[in-house]
Parts: sequence; structure tokens; C-alpha cells
Amino acid sequence: MKMTTRVIVPACLLASTLFVFTSCTTVNTVERATPIGTKQVIADKRVITDSTLNKKVSIVGMNEGMTPGGFLQVQIEVLNRKNSMQTFSYRFEWFDMNGMLVDTPTSVWIPRQIEGQETLTITAVAPTTTAKDFRVKFMENVRND
Amino acid sequence: MKLNIYSILLTVSTLLIFGGCATHTRYVETTGPRTIVTTDINIQDFSYAAEDMIKSLLASGSLDKTQRQPAMLAISRIINNTTQQIDTDLLIKKIRVALNQSGKALTTTTMGIGGIAEDPLAQGIQQEKEFYTDKKEPQRLPDFTLSGKIIEKRDRQNEVRQVSYAFQLSLTNNDGLAVWEDEKEISKQSKRGVIGW
Repeated sequence: MKMTTRVIVPACLLASTLFVFTSCTTVNTVERATPIGTKQVIADKRVITDSTLNKKVSIVGMNEGMTPGGFLQVQIEVLNRKNSMQTFSYRFEWFDMNGMLVDTPTSVWIPRQIEGQETLTITAVAPTTTAKDFRVKFMENVRND
Repeated sequence: MKLNIYSILLTVSTLLIFGGCATHTRYVETTGPRTIVTTDINIQDFSYAAEDMIKSLLASGSLDKTQRQPAMLAISRIINNTTQQIDTDLLIKKIRVALNQSGKALTTTTMGIGGIAEDPLAQGIQQEKEFYTDKKEPQRLPDFTLSGKIIEKRDRQNEVRQVSYAFQLSLTNNDGLAVWEDEKEISKQSKRGVIGW
């Protein structure tokens, strides 16, 4: 009995250690200390209903610009505060000057994956030049795959 | 009393049998996150590719470099180089609709490869109109053509199978230059089950 315990306990410990270390893969980054480009950062309003997702996909900031054709372009920087790879989906909705939703075939839930401690930039371009405002929805992947 | 128990048991077992056999079908949003994912090209894959392509095309400003606005677009050959039989309009139509909505380009339905129009009736009306109005000006030619290819690549390592699809599109101006090109890749992995795959 004692012999069995002596073998099983260290084996379990080793297995769990291996599991922890292999499932955590984080990203190291390097960039220019003083960036040349200046972001046109915009103030945002957040509604967090899923705090677990907010830890996995944390919104760092948003900036916007205009394309040569006059379309509003938005970039959102998200950070995975966890040490393991996470999956999520997002969807952009666009609104015109009157606050009306601009219906477009390209407004879809897009699945993405983000490695541990990685920052990811999500880019979107307004479907029309009349689209002036936007809303982005984030959601955990709901498919059991 | 005995009869009552038997009848209840019979009813319950009947319900269980028929209830268990019933198929549960429901509507899902095609653009939503609850659609089925398989290693084939799924309906949402076309949406992801179209979304990426439109974003890239509108951001490039390529459609603004024409004398007449909105630009005129003709659809060229979209090659399906996958093992599946797919209708490439699942991709192209989304792009056409989005371009139309953007106000940057309108697609002609009276021109096609080999002179075959997408809309033969519209082509006939156009020709008749030109004949009766004794038009001196030549017919407006498309400013751009849109061509592309969908490629499939399959890989396997032990029990993991990976399938990648590359959606490639090119926008060529009437000087024959590809003024915009992009590629969107979608990869899916699946593990082989205990029985089959």
C-alpha cells in the first residue's frame, strides 16, 4: 500500500505540473520605445455583462481614422490577461447620423483566438460613408467544438 | 389500481420513446456564432472572407481612382479549386451587395465571360435601347473586373487533420493592371473520433 502511494503521488504531481506548464503559453513582444505614429484615441463606453470574458479579452483602447475613400476606420486593441490561449467572437454594428443601424452583409460574428498575454488589434471599416458611429460586441465562443 | 399504474407506465414509456426519437430542429442566425462548424467550407466562412475582402477593398481606395463615380464593375472568373462543389456567388454576391451599398461601385449584369450575360433580359433591353436611340457614344466599359480563386489544402499529423481554404481576389482596371489584391485564409482542425471521422 505504502509502495503504491509512493509511486502514485509523485506521478500525479509530475503530471499536473506538466499539464500546467504545457497549457500556459504566453507571448513576448518588443516594439519601438517611442512610437512615431500617434493614435487618434477615442473615449469609449463599456457595458460588461460577462466579467470572465472581460479578463480573457480585455479592451485596451480604441482609435479611429478615415480611409482615402472617406470611410470610418476603427481599430480596437484587446489583451488576453490569462496565460493560456482563449477564443472569442466579435461583431461590429454601424450607425448613421440618425442613429439608425446600417444593415450590411459583412456584419457577422467573427471568431478569433488570442494567445496568453497577447495583444490583438481588431480592425473594421464602415460599410458606407454615412456610417458615423459603431458598436462592437464581444462574446465567448458558444460552439462546443 | 393495477390498471392505473400500467396505463401511466405505458404513457410515460411511449412519450420517452417518441420524445427520444424526435429531431430537434431550430433556426440559427447565419451570421451568428451558433452555426455548425465542419471541415468543409461552411456558410459562415464565406461571410468571414467577404467581410475581410470588403474591409480591405474599401480601405485601399482603389475604387475611387476612376473618372466616373461610382465605378463600374464586371465579374470575371472565380475559380473553385477545392474538392467541394460550391457556388462562388456565396462569396461574390456578398461583396457585390456591400460595394453597391457603399456607393463606390455598381456591378454590370449585362456583361460576362464569353459574352454570356448574368441577366440576358437586361442585356436585350440594353441593346434594343441603344438601337432605337441611335446611340453615337460607345457603350460604357467596366472600369474594373473582379476575378479570384478559392484553394483548398489538407494536412494531417497523427490524429489531427487540418484543412485550409485560401480566398484570393484581384481587382483589375481596364488597363489590365491589378490595382487591388488580397487573400484571406481560413484554417480548421479536427481530431479523428474513436469511430470513423
